[in-house]
Order: sequence, then C-alpha cells, then structure tokens
Amino acid sequence: MKLAFQLAYKNLIGAGLRTWLNVGVLALSFIIIIFFRGFLEGWNHQAIRDNIEWELGAGHLVHNGYDPYDPFSILDGHGRLTQEQQVDLFPVLVRQASLYPEGRMLSVALKGIDGQQNLLELPTASFTSSNTKIPAIIGKNMATSIDIKEGDEILLRWRDKGGTFDAANVTIVKIFSTNVITVDKGQVWIPIQKLWEMTGLENHASYYVANENYTPSSLEGWNYKTKDDLLSDFYKLMEMEKISTSFMYLLLLAIALLAIFDTQVLSVFRRQKEIGTYIALGMTRSQVVGLFTVEGTMYSLFAMIVGCIFGLPLFWYLHTSGISFPDFYQDMGVSFPTRLFPSFGIQLILTTILLVVVSAAVVSYLPARKIAKMNPVLALKGKMQ
Amino acid sequence: MNQETIIKINNLTKRFPVGEGEFTALKNINLEFFKGEFSGLVGPSGSGKTTLLNIIGSLDSPTEGEAIVLGKQISKLSHKESALLRNKHIGFIFQVYNLLPVYTVFENVEFALLLQNIPSEKRKKMVNDALEWVGLSSMANKKPDKLSGGEGQRVAIARAMVKNPEIIIADEPSANLDAANAHAILKTMKQMNKELGTTFIFSTHDEKVMGYLDRIIHLRDGMVEEDEIINVNHAP
Repeated sequence: MKLAFQLAYKNLIGAGLRTWLNVGVLALSFIIIIFFRGFLEGWNHQAIRDNIEWELGAGHLVHNGYDPYDPFSILDGHGRLTQEQQVDLFPVLVRQASLYPEGRMLSVALKGIDGQQNLLELPTASFTSSNTKIPAIIGKNMATSIDIKEGDEILLRWRDKGGTFDAANVTIVKIFSTNVITVDKGQVWIPIQKLWEMTGLENHASYYVANENYTPSSLEGWNYKTKDDLLSDFYKLMEMEKISTSFMYLLLLAIALLAIFDTQVLSVFRRQKEIGTYIALGMTRSQVVGLFTVEGTMYSLFAMIVGCIFGLPLFWYLHTSGISFPDFYQDMGVSFPTRLFPSFGIQLILTTILLVVVSAAVVSYLPARKIAKMNPVLALKGKMQ
Repeated sequence: MNQETIIKINNLTKRFPVGEGEFTALKNINLEFFKGEFSGLVGPSGSGKTTLLNIIGSLDSPTEGEAIVLGKQISKLSHKESALLRNKHIGFIFQVYNLLPVYTVFENVEFALLLQNIPSEKRKKMVNDALEWVGLSSMANKKPDKLSGGEGQRVAIARAMVKNPEIIIADEPSANLDAANAHAILKTMKQMNKELGTTFIFSTHDEKVMGYLDRIIHLRDGMVEEDEIINVNHAP
C-alpha cells in the first residue's frame, strides 16, 4: 500500500496540469460542501440557542386549551396553578389586542410577563425601571413595521374579563433586538401583573416557562413540552433544508467525481504501455489496479490539502466574523439571525472528507478494474483492449 | 560441458484467436537455454520471436506444451507467482525502452527494487551501481524525455540489471538506435553477461546484434529452423 501511495504520488505530480485541474474542481467542491453544511449547522445552533434564551427556557407548561398557532384558543386557553405548583416556573399570559399606530389597526398578541424574570433574554427589567402606567417592550422588527421608537405612546385596545373592549395608551419603554421572530413581530410585552389587572384574570397564565431545575409532574389541564418538543418544527425545517442542500452539494460532488472518473478512464486507455511495463517489471495486476485506484483517490487527498489552504482561513473568518443578512430574511417565519456564524465542527469536516475520499476511491476503482482483465503483452504494445 | 539448464521448452505451441479462426504463432517448439548464454531468436516479422520471449518472460502462456523457466512451469503459475518470477528473476529490455515517463532516470531504475521492498540505503547503492555500470550516473535526475535514444536504452538496461536477475529478455533492443549506440549498448550487455553471468535472450533481426550472440536460434513461421552455436563455450 505504501508503494502504491509513493508511485501514485509521483504519477500525479508528474501528470502536472491535468492533476491540478481535477484537484482544483474537487477542492472547490470540498469548500462549498463544507461551507453549506457549516452554514446550516451554524444556523441550527444559533437558532436553537436564541429560541431557548429568548422564548423557550427549559420548556413550557402549556394550558391544554391554548394553542399558539390558533388565535381562537387564546380567549379561553388559560388557567392558574397554585404557588407550590409554580416552583421553577414563571407565568406568561397571552391575550388578543389591537394597536393603533398612526390611526391604523394592527392585531397583536398582548403578552404579560413578570418583570422580575431573568430566565429569558427579554429585557423585562425595563418594566420596573419605568413609572409609566402601562410600560411595554417590543421587538425591533415590530417597532420598524409600525414606525415607533422608545418613549412613544400608542393606543392599545383589549377585551377585559367580561368580553368588553377597553383601551389605554401603552408606553414603549424598550425596543429589543432579537433573532427570534416569534417574540418580536406582532408581539407586545407588558408586566403580567398589569395584564391581570387589565383583564381581571388574576394569577392566570396561558403557559408557564420552566427553568432547568423544573421537574415535570402530571398536572390536570396542563401539558409540559420540553424545549425539544417546542423546537420540533424547527428541527423538521432544518432536516428539509439539509435534504435540499444535500442535492445541491451532491450535484457538485458528482461533477468533481465525473472529472476524476473521466481522467481514470482516459488513463487506463492512454497508459496501457505503462500498465504493461508495470506488469513486466513485476507488479501483479491487482497491484496495478490498486495503484490506479490510489491515484484517483489521491486527487481527493490533494484536494483536501488545497481546500485546507484556501478553506481554513475563509472558514475561520466566516466563523469569527459571521455573515450578515438583511432583515427581510426574518420574514421566513423562523429564527434567522441578521448575522449568522457558520459552525465548522471537526465532525462536519471529517464526515465531508470521508464522503469525498470514499466517493473518489469508488469512481477511481471502477475504471481501474479493467486493468485486471488486460493482456500484458497487448498492453506493452499499447494496443487498445 | 556440464551446463545448468535455466529454461526448458517442450513441444510448445501458441495459437491466437483471429476473427473466428486461429493463428498459430509457435508450432511444437523444443529448446533449452543454459545459464550464462548470450543467445538470440532471429527471424523475420511474424516468425514468433516476441511470442516466445513473452512466454519465457511469463507475460503469456503456451496453448500447448510447456515452458519451464527457473524450474517453474509458466502455464501453471498464478498471476501473483508469475509477477514474482518477473520481479525477482527476469529483466526486460524493450524496443521502445518503456521507461516510465514521469519518473527520473534514478526512479525508473529504482522501480523494480521498490517492488522487492529493499531498504532505502541499499536500494540507493544498487541503483547508483547500475547507473555507473551503464555510464549514466550524471543523468540520474533527468526525466526520460530529456534522454537520447541510446541513453534511454541504457536506462532500460540499468533497470533490467539492477535487481541482478538470472535472465534478461531483450526484445529488439537496437531497433531504434543508430549503429554507434547499438554497439555501445550491446557491449554493455555483453560485459554484463561475462562479468555477472546473466543469461541474455534477444529477439532480433539486426545484423549488429547477431554479431555479438553466442547462439542464434532461427525461427520461421513459428518453428525452429536452425539452432546455430557460435561460441562453443555455451554449447548445449
């Protein structure tokens, strides 16, 4: 095997430009495949972390009547737990409401949250530092869409416990920036105590956010969803993304492998005299097949080295500086950061290398098998077989 | 004289498929070659010279009869065994040199030793000795495309002799060389035959080569026409 590597190395270096063209194409494939996989990994990690930090905590204890995807469930989807049942939990109450920015009506989810909480990244401490009647915090996307800034007042209309409409001005005390669109667009956050007072739903919650210490127990009328349960839709989306990008990079890989296959087929035909010489000098046919297979595989090893030379600084730069995306990417409806930091883990790089090297070995071996059936006498004469 | 038989060919026939029929390249050949012979197969094109050399070199096998080389029956050898026979005991010199184009002169000569897993230091010494023998020490780092025809053939000789084989098979070695170069390489081979006792078997129709041979086997239409002993020291 060592000999095959030595000879293959010499043959490839000796082949000059043809080698470097194949290596170049394969290295480019390497870089693009790793980049896309790193991009998805980075997005995945970042989105999961952001969702946990901004919205999910360790999980949600959700009222059975409440479905975040069904606005009609908001009205009755709430309940209350005793103080003992609320250990390691804090409540969030969701109500439907309307905002009237510049005379237009905008339906929003009015969410009450405890200003004392420090589990989520939401800047709820701003409630306590404000002495306005109804302090509210909203996300940057929401603020931009309704053209509002910190300190502005805006009319809010909601239904009280009896179903009667009530209205008051809320003061925007803080505009926060987040990648988690589900806590931003169409969301208005106010102190839960104020929302209880406004709606008469004292101590009620649509769901409770759990911290890491929370031990789920069976509570009638409530259903505990772990963060993984809550992220299941996101996981499905990532799977779909991975499949769709897989097609793209398999196509790239196929082009690169086709170049190797083509070179191998040509080599077996053009280098018949050389093959005959190898056999005459004492190589077995299987050794020659091995040599040609290693030669083809070595393209991928060279490509790996060339890919590292160009790719590592690029990947390092992208990993540390990130890639910025315009805000409209957040309209996809899932967490998409304005600056995405691709994640190029060792496992990702090693699996990509393995994929490319094994694929290159297979496409190199297929044409080389023909050598095993060659007549060495005809090969020495360079006659087509 | 009591000489050691190195190659024995008994009733050897070789047929090749041609279209739907067959072409008989060798017919009922019976020959013996002895250790240290400097012999040649001579005859016109199509007489079966190269076919017989290929069988002796275990690159091909007989259709009928047997060829026993260094005690091994060629037709019964596996691919691996015949490769081993070629690698350790038989050197080849081809008409068009068949040097490996991407290797240097040194690497071309070294190739057979690499296959034998000879340690690096010993290998280097053997290659340098072989190159010195053929007078190409100064060209060790050149690629084959930078060599003249004579130099290329001398590299091929060095490659064949470096592993010190019992037999060297030379197929029309002077066909692409001018007279001066042909004489130069023949002298080298003759010297090698005398000093190292290597058995040489040529295939040729070149008068210059014939002048150096101790034994000339005339082939015609796949049959031995005449087995001519020139140097009685190697008489059967």
